[in-house]
Amino acid sequence: MLFAGLMFWHQGLLGQADSAQAHADLGIQLAQSGDLTSAENELRQAVKIEPNNPEFLSTLGTLLAMDKKLDESTAVFRKAVHLAPADFTSRRYLAANLWQLHSYGEAKHELETILREHPDDAHSRLLLGMVSENSGDYATAAKMLSSVPDEVAKQPESLAALALSYYRLHERTNARTTLQRLSSLNTLKATLLGGEIADQAGDYEEAEQLLNSISSSEANAPDVQFRRATVQYHAGHFAQCQATLQPLVSSPAATPQMYNRLGWCYHRLNKPKEATESFEHAIALTPADESNYVDLIKVLEAHNFLRVALDAANRAAALFPKSAAVFNLKGSVESRLLQFTDAVASYRHALQLDRTNANSILGLARAQASAGQTSDATSTFHTAIQRFPKDARIKVAYAEILLKQMETGDSDAKSRAEQLLRSAIAIDALNGEALYQLGNVELNDGRSEEALRHLEQAVKLLPQSSQPHFALARAYRRLKRSNDAEREMDLYNKLKASEPQRAESSGAGDDARN
Amino acid sequence: MTLGIDSHRMSSSRILLFLLLLIGISGEILQHRLLAASPKEIFTDITQEAEITWQQFGGESPDRFLIETMGGGVAFVDFDNDGMLDIFFVNGGETPRGKSPLPLSNALYRNLGNGKFENVAAKAGLDKLNFYGMGVAAADFDNDGYQDLYVTGYPASALYHNNRNGTFTNVTDKAGVKNAGKWAAGAAWFDYDRDGLLDLIVTNYAQFSFDDPKKCEVNGVRAYCAQTAYTGLPLTLYHNNGDGTFTDVSTRAGFDKLIGRGLGVVAIDVNDDGWPDLFIARDASPNLLLINKHDGTFEDVALEAEVAYDQNGAAKAGMGVDAGDVNGDGIPDFVLTNFNDQYHSLFLGSKSLAFSDHTSASHLASLTRLFVGWGAKFLDYDNDGNLDVMLVNGHINQVIESMRVDVKYKEPALLLRNNGAGVFDDMRELAGPAFRRSYVGRSLAIGDFDNDGDADAVFTTLNGPAVLLRNNVGQDSSWIGFSLQGTTSNRDAIGAKITVTSFGRTLTRWIAGGGSYLASHDRRVLVGLGPSAKPINVDIRWPGGIVQHLSGLQPRQYHRLVEPASPVSSKKP
Repeated sequence: MLFAGLMFWHQGLLGQADSAQAHADLGIQLAQSGDLTSAENELRQAVKIEPNNPEFLSTLGTLLAMDKKLDESTAVFRKAVHLAPADFTSRRYLAANLWQLHSYGEAKHELETILREHPDDAHSRLLLGMVSENSGDYATAAKMLSSVPDEVAKQPESLAALALSYYRLHERTNARTTLQRLSSLNTLKATLLGGEIADQAGDYEEAEQLLNSISSSEANAPDVQFRRATVQYHAGHFAQCQATLQPLVSSPAATPQMYNRLGWCYHRLNKPKEATESFEHAIALTPADESNYVDLIKVLEAHNFLRVALDAANRAAALFPKSAAVFNLKGSVESRLLQFTDAVASYRHALQLDRTNANSILGLARAQASAGQTSDATSTFHTAIQRFPKDARIKVAYAEILLKQMETGDSDAKSRAEQLLRSAIAIDALNGEALYQLGNVELNDGRSEEALRHLEQAVKLLPQSSQPHFALARAYRRLKRSNDAEREMDLYNKLKASEPQRAESSGAGDDARN
Repeated sequence: MTLGIDSHRMSSSRILLFLLLLIGISGEILQHRLLAASPKEIFTDITQEAEITWQQFGGESPDRFLIETMGGGVAFVDFDNDGMLDIFFVNGGETPRGKSPLPLSNALYRNLGNGKFENVAAKAGLDKLNFYGMGVAAADFDNDGYQDLYVTGYPASALYHNNRNGTFTNVTDKAGVKNAGKWAAGAAWFDYDRDGLLDLIVTNYAQFSFDDPKKCEVNGVRAYCAQTAYTGLPLTLYHNNGDGTFTDVSTRAGFDKLIGRGLGVVAIDVNDDGWPDLFIARDASPNLLLINKHDGTFEDVALEAEVAYDQNGAAKAGMGVDAGDVNGDGIPDFVLTNFNDQYHSLFLGSKSLAFSDHTSASHLASLTRLFVGWGAKFLDYDNDGNLDVMLVNGHINQVIESMRVDVKYKEPALLLRNNGAGVFDDMRELAGPAFRRSYVGRSLAIGDFDNDGDADAVFTTLNGPAVLLRNNVGQDSSWIGFSLQGTTSNRDAIGAKITVTSFGRTLTRWIAGGGSYLASHDRRVLVGLGPSAKPINVDIRWPGGIVQHLSGLQPRQYHRLVEPASPVSSKKP
């Protein structure tokens, strides 16, 4: 009935005058009635007749944005703003579009333009706050969002953005107060969001408190419990995490995500068998999701169940032949099993799938070097350095290979290695491995004082790694600092003893003698 | 090419005949010229003509017990005192699922003096072992003038006393040197307390049982587990009581705390204090440099000396070790064999006991990167006065070639020539075909079996025949040999230091205990003199401490020298 009436009215308007304004008016009315498609058609007609009418353009842009046609909407708004620069509503809509399209810089520019003319425009301040939070400018985000408390209070997402900005600015009290405001909205969604923000910021106490504040009728909902387990996991309370998840996975509400999280809890509780079972459950529930395979392989590798890890990697590789992550892990496990030729093939495949992954090319170069394919390794390292010039790890790994070559008579290798190590340190002054390797080069070269400086830094950065302590002990010994040498050697021995041994006999962590 | 012949005037068949004749003659001339110009091959493999047919059996099995890969000891020993070195081979043994189709036995090859050997192991009572055999250390432990044998193995070792009639008696139980339950590998005789009686150091490898096969795989194929799957053991030190019995003094010596996977051992006076010290090569355990404290105890200074670990604090896979002065400074240096990618090591000694790692500078790193080394022995093969080194290599893992393009299962033995400063050249091309072949080599012994004044060699291969190498070039230079007989010192004079002065050089040699891997060597000392044919002077510091100076000794002969009762200076015709 209503539809018939509208059609009659529609026909009537068009009959009166086939003008742009008439199409625009009709479009607005159709939009108000919820018929966005017809509304859009009418506005298009209006714009066709009067292409430089900023009002029609702005309305069309709005309709397109409502219909999630953000790119076209943005282009229309740009034209509208160009034709009517003072129309800050169009400009604000343009900024909102740009924000949604992750063009934060441009969005910020548009909003700042508005605020120069209308500094008190609350919507623009709110929007600039959101844009700034997304782009990591937490100071501006906090300033803008806190300046429009009424606007912010209307939307849980804005409160969340403000709280997160405070956290990032290390203003924990303000952050917690903001989260309490969020929680006081008294909706489950808002409280969960608050918990998520606190969790994300590492304020697990607040996160748990927020989750505990959920009313008892909703507290046992699987989603709430899962979030609680996630917070417990991040807080390092792995046994609690396991206890929270155990009843969930036994219930009909069990999800692959729950099994996955439970797998990680077991992993951190050093229960690899249970972890494996959980990941296998997750895999059974979503066999097409490679992430559970990836996590399973990671955990098996971490526990040195290398053969089992390789079996899982081979299974995953057959199922996900286009997954770079799977082939990277396969290469890593094969390298750990000293199956370097296979590792070369896996890393090469991973690299073909994703050229942008520095881990793949680094793994490939290392595997080639280990497989004795020295010239291939050299070539891969060169490519890697060209492609990832700011990745210090690649330079350190190449330097390590060069130092090996130096030992076998390549006299240029030492200076090239030293150059690479210094370059790696220039990129990343806290790269302990580079400092250690450089210190070792200097030590072997008789430059004990220089070595000492670098090795002392390396030990600070890698306190749990035995090798820098060993090298530092050598340096101290050379400099006749026996007590210091002895102390470092004690540390070396303790750390060495706690390192996992190769080739355990269990049949699980099973390195062959190669 | 113009032959200077008008081919149109000759029939085609005559041309062909003429060309064949011409090629044949010129080929012969060319071959003759090449032979005249090319040097002699340094070593000739004479295993077959010597009639040495023994083969090692490791008991390879589906269980892949690591012990299957590590045996095959060998000794050059003159067991019958006829002045000619004989050869004793230690067999491995069967494993629960690695049975031999033929009866297993050790071999004692008696040197017949005509280039041939005769296996007399059964007659000598040495053919059978009641344990899995590993290595051998030969010496005259009871100072009766005859060489006795200590055979290491698992789960026991054995001492065979030489009956002076071509036979041996197993005196293990009486002597108390069974080393029961342990997997013993290397052994060396030395007189650590300088009481004139040879004591015995035994390197034990690891806790092991045939009831506990370790499971490791490569590409789904069962493979030998890395050594780190096996927990190491302490060393065993037996003190010779002089009455045919020994006392286990391992704990008193402080060896019970030195737990690791011990393999090669060499006893030599490292700090020149007149007391024998020990270098123990250990497999993925830090090497040991044990300095004799003169009170029955030893102090491990390997760490301070920087010979325990590599520069990254990783313990290499030390297998064999030998000591000798490679750079002419009169201080012992050490060569060690390690795993592929680790390089075999060369450590140069100094007066301060700090060693410098000369592995790269000596070229040893580049020459050995791809090899898993075992036997290692210094020898002056060309008698030029510089200690060269022979190294025997061979991998563990049969499927290594599926994993690495550059590392092989069978590997060549290496003969490396020293330039006098501890820098080595690979002599593979000149050393003879035996050095261009590949083996799964294990133990290596050096000795002058044909008494021609140069160092010959014998090495074993895993599950394969031994290789006997005759030196063809040493006689081209001058040399002098010494056979020392202790009186107050141990009769074999193990621990003696010999300093030869000749052609403006001072050459220092030691009669060391042990050396190489699972092996025992010619106990005589052979010193290369290069071009010098003049009489030489020699100083001997006997193990008991007496110093003897001799002058005017004639080169190109072995000199039998008996320890004097007191320090003397004498001229020997």
